[in-house]
Amino acid sequence: MTSLHDRRRQLLVAAGLLPFAPLLRAADAAAWERTEKAARGQTVYFNAWGGSEQVNAYLQWAAGEIGRRHGVRVEHVKLGDTAEVVKRVRAEKQAGRLADGSADMMWINGENFLVMKRESLLFGPFAEALPNFALVDVTGKPTTRIDFSEPVDGMEAAWGMAQLTFYADAKKVAQPPQSMAALIDFARKNPGRLTYPKPPQFHGTTFLKQLLLELAPDRQPFYAPAPADAQRLLAPLWRTLDTLHPLLWRQGRQFPASTVVMRQMLADGELLIGLTFNPNEAANEVAAKRLPGSVVSWQHAAGTIGNTHFLAIPFNARAKEGAQVAINFLQSPLAQARKADIQVWGDPTVLAVARLSAADQAAFAQGQGPGSVTQPAPTLPEPHASWVEVIEREWARRYGQ
Amino acid sequence: MRFAWLLPAGLFALPLAAALVWALAGALDPLAWRQLAADPALAPSLRLALWVGSASTLLSLGLTLWLVTHLHARPAWARLERALGGLLAIPHAAFAVGLALLLMPSGLIARLIAPLAGWTAPPDVATVQDPFGLALIAALVLKEVPFLLWNVAAQLRPVARNAQLRQQLQTAQAMGYPAASVWWRVLWPQLLPRLALPLLAVWAYGLTVVDMALVLGPTRPPTLAVLSWQWLLDADAAMNRQGAAAALLLAGVTAAGALAAAVAWRLLQPALRAREVRGDRPPAHAAGPGAPLLALAGVSAYASAIVLLLFVSIASVWSFPALWPQQVSLDAWGAVATGLRSVWVTAGLAFASAATGVVLAIAWMETTPEAWDRRAAPLVFAPMLLPGVLLVVGLYRLALELGIDGSLAGLWLAHSLFTTPYALVALAPAYRSFDARYEHTAMALGRSHLAFLRQVKWPMLLAPIASAAAIGFAVSVTQYLSTQFVGAGRYATVTTEALTLASGGQRGTMAAFALLQALLPALAFAAAWWLGRAQARRIGVPGVA
Repeated sequence: MTSLHDRRRQLLVAAGLLPFAPLLRAADAAAWERTEKAARGQTVYFNAWGGSEQVNAYLQWAAGEIGRRHGVRVEHVKLGDTAEVVKRVRAEKQAGRLADGSADMMWINGENFLVMKRESLLFGPFAEALPNFALVDVTGKPTTRIDFSEPVDGMEAAWGMAQLTFYADAKKVAQPPQSMAALIDFARKNPGRLTYPKPPQFHGTTFLKQLLLELAPDRQPFYAPAPADAQRLLAPLWRTLDTLHPLLWRQGRQFPASTVVMRQMLADGELLIGLTFNPNEAANEVAAKRLPGSVVSWQHAAGTIGNTHFLAIPFNARAKEGAQVAINFLQSPLAQARKADIQVWGDPTVLAVARLSAADQAAFAQGQGPGSVTQPAPTLPEPHASWVEVIEREWARRYGQ
Repeated sequence: MRFAWLLPAGLFALPLAAALVWALAGALDPLAWRQLAADPALAPSLRLALWVGSASTLLSLGLTLWLVTHLHARPAWARLERALGGLLAIPHAAFAVGLALLLMPSGLIARLIAPLAGWTAPPDVATVQDPFGLALIAALVLKEVPFLLWNVAAQLRPVARNAQLRQQLQTAQAMGYPAASVWWRVLWPQLLPRLALPLLAVWAYGLTVVDMALVLGPTRPPTLAVLSWQWLLDADAAMNRQGAAAALLLAGVTAAGALAAAVAWRLLQPALRAREVRGDRPPAHAAGPGAPLLALAGVSAYASAIVLLLFVSIASVWSFPALWPQQVSLDAWGAVATGLRSVWVTAGLAFASAATGVVLAIAWMETTPEAWDRRAAPLVFAPMLLPGVLLVVGLYRLALELGIDGSLAGLWLAHSLFTTPYALVALAPAYRSFDARYEHTAMALGRSHLAFLRQVKWPMLLAPIASAAAIGFAVSVTQYLSTQFVGAGRYATVTTEALTLASGGQRGTMAAFALLQALLPALAFAAAWWLGRAQARRIGVPGVA
C-alpha cells in the first residue's frame, strides 16, 4: 500500500525536490496513520538470531512496548543463523507462496541482504518512509544507507551500529596493541595466544580486511571492484599472514569457528585477545558476569572497519503494516537508547543523537561501564564487496585445507 | 484390519517419498556436481569422513563383541544392561559438549594436571578438534557401544532364543570349550547377521554426523558431513545445491560401504565355518577384571560429562587452572525457568510422534509378512542414512505444499517421519519373533484376533513396545533442523533453545538446556523400563524381570 507513495518520494528525491518535502508531510502523516491503523491486531513474527540472552531479553521488552502502544503482537522467532530465514523465504517463493509468508520481519545485513535484494525476496522500499527515519544519522553514519557495497534503497531499516573492536583482560595484557603491527609484535611475545575466526566466517574475513587496509600504502583500490590482477594487490596480506600464522593459536593450523567461541576461550584463559563487532560486547559480558571485571576494550588508533545491521520485511510477509510499526518503534529514541545501554545490550545507536531533543539526548547519556571502549577510533568503511570472495577463495586455497 | 499397512504407507511412506524427491531434485544438478568436484576441500574432507566412519564402526563393533563375550552371564552384565537405557537417553550433542568440557585444553583433565605440570594457561594442544578426528572417534565409540550392546541384549531377550543360545553354550562347555571360544566360534556367527541393521546405522551415523563433529571434530578441513551441512545452510542457492550433491555423495558412500561389508561377510564364511569345526580347545582364561573395568570407564565418561554440564551451567567466570569457578550464578537456570514453555512443547511433540511411530510400526508388522520388511527397508532407512539436513529441505517443501508449515500438525508429521523407522527397527526383533503358538492357542480357544492382540500379545510385548516408544521420544527431542524449518521457528523446543544459544556462545544457558535435553528422554526410558518390569511381574513373562 505504501509502494505508490514511496515511488513518488523516490522521484522527488531523484529530482532534487526534497526541499519541497514539507508540502508532502501532511500526506505522509496521513499515510502513516493508515499504516498504524492497519497494523493494530496483527501478529508480527520477527525472525532474529537468538544466540544472546541479553538481546532476547531486549526483544521481549520491545515486544511488550509495541503491544501496549500500538496493539501489535511481536513474536521473536529465534534463529541459530539468519541464513535459515533466507532459505525459508526463498523456498516459499519457489512453492508459490506469494502472500501469507511465515516471516514478517527479520534482522539482517551484509551477504544475506544482498542475496535477498537481488532475488527480490524483500518488501519495499519502506525504510525511508518511516517517521523515525528522519532521526537516523545518514550523513555521520553512511553505512546506514549502504550495506555490503549495495545501496540499501529503503529495502531495510538501519537498527544498530557495529565496529571491529578488540578486548582483553588488563591483568594479562597491560598494553593493548593499537595497530596490526603492534598486534603481530604481541603475537611474537605471546606465541599461541592469539587467533581469529576461520574465514569465510564474517568476523574472520573482517579481520583479514582490517589487516589488508592497515598494510596498504594506498587504500583506494580496495574501495573499487577487485580487478583481474587482484592477487598483486593482496600480496602484502599473504606475506604478513605467512609470518603471523606460526605465532597463532595451534600455530595457525586450526582456527576457531566464531568470535563467541573465542570469547569463551578468552574467559577460560586459552586466548589473550578477543575480537567482536559490537564495541560494547565485552562490557555487556562483564555486566552479565561472564567475563571478569578487569576486561578492557579498544579499537586500533587509526580506525577499524565498521558497518550497520538492519531490519527488513520479506516480500510475502503477512503483517507488513505491523512490521513497519514495530521497526519504527525500534528506531525510536526510547528503544535505541535502551538498546545502547550496556546493562541491557550495548548496541550503538543509528540515530543522530545530537539532533534529538534534550530529553531524548539525556536517555543516551548512560555513561560507560567496566569493559567499554574508552577512546573510540574512526570507523573505516568496508572494502568493496567483490574483494570478499577474492580474499576468501585465496585464503581457503592457502590455509583452508 | 488386513489393510492396516496402508496406514504406515500413507502416513510414512508417501510423505517421505515426496520429501525425498524434493530433496534429491537439488542434488541432481550437474553444475552442482562440477562445483563440488572442483572444491579443494572435497578430497581431504571425504577421506576424513571415511576414516572417522570406519574407525568408529570397527572399534564400536570390536568393543561390543569383546564386552559381551567377557561379561555375559556375569553380574556386571546385568548392571550394565540396566545402565544402557540411561546412556542411550543422553543426546549425542549434549554428550559431545560434556565430553569436550572434560577433554579440551581448558577442560577438567587439563586443570587436574596443571598443578603437577606447572601450567598457568591451557596447553596449546589439540585435545579436541584434533586433525585426525581422534576425539570425535572416541565420542562416537562411547555413544555407539551402548547402542550395539542394547541391540545384542534385545537379541538375547526373547525367551526361546536365549534358551537356545544357553543350551549351545552349555553343550560346548561340557565338551571342553571355554565360554569365550564358544562365543567367537558358535554364538557370534549366529548373532552377527542380526546386528546388520544396527551396524549399518552406526556406520551411517559415523559418516554423516554433524552435531558431535561440530564440537569435537577437526576443523581444517571438517568432515564432509559438516561441509555439506554448512553448504546446505548457506544463504546462496548455488552453495545449497553443492551441499545437496555432497549429501547425496555421502549417502552413496554409506551404501557402498554397507555393500562392501556384506560381501566381506560372505567371503569370510568358509573361514568362519572351518574355525567352527576345527575342534581344537584353546586354554580357558580366568574371567579377568578387564571387561568390567572397561565398562565402568565408559559409564564414568558419561557421568563426568553430565556432572560437568551441571557444573558449567552455574559457573559464570571460571578461568584456567582454577578447579572452582571465580563467579557462580544461577542466571542460566533462571533463563530456563522463563523458557519453560519449550519443555512442554518438546515433551508433547515427542510423546505424540513417538506414539505415532509405534502405532505405525505395529500396524505394519501386524498386517505384513516378515519378508516385506526387506522391501520396505530402503524407505525405512532413508531417514537414518540420509544426512538430516538434506531430508529436511524436502520435508519443508512438502510442508509448504500441504500448507502445514509453521503449525504443530506439520511438526508432528515431520517428527513422526523420524520416529517411525526407529520404532520399527527397535520393535521388529521382539515383535517378529513372537511365538506363534500363543496365537494358535488363542484361536483354538475361540478368541478373536483383536482380543488376542489386546489380551495376550501386546501385554506380553509391553516392554519392547515401551522401549521403542522411548527411543522414538528421544529421536523427537533431538530434532533441530526439522523443528526450525517445518515449524518456521515458531515452536521453540529445548533443543532449538540449546542450539540457538550455542550459536551465541552462552555456555551456561546452553549447558542447562542440554541437561534438559538429556533429562526428558531419560525420563521416557525410565518410564519404559518401569512399565516393562511392572508388567513382567504382573503377568510373569520369564526372562524379562
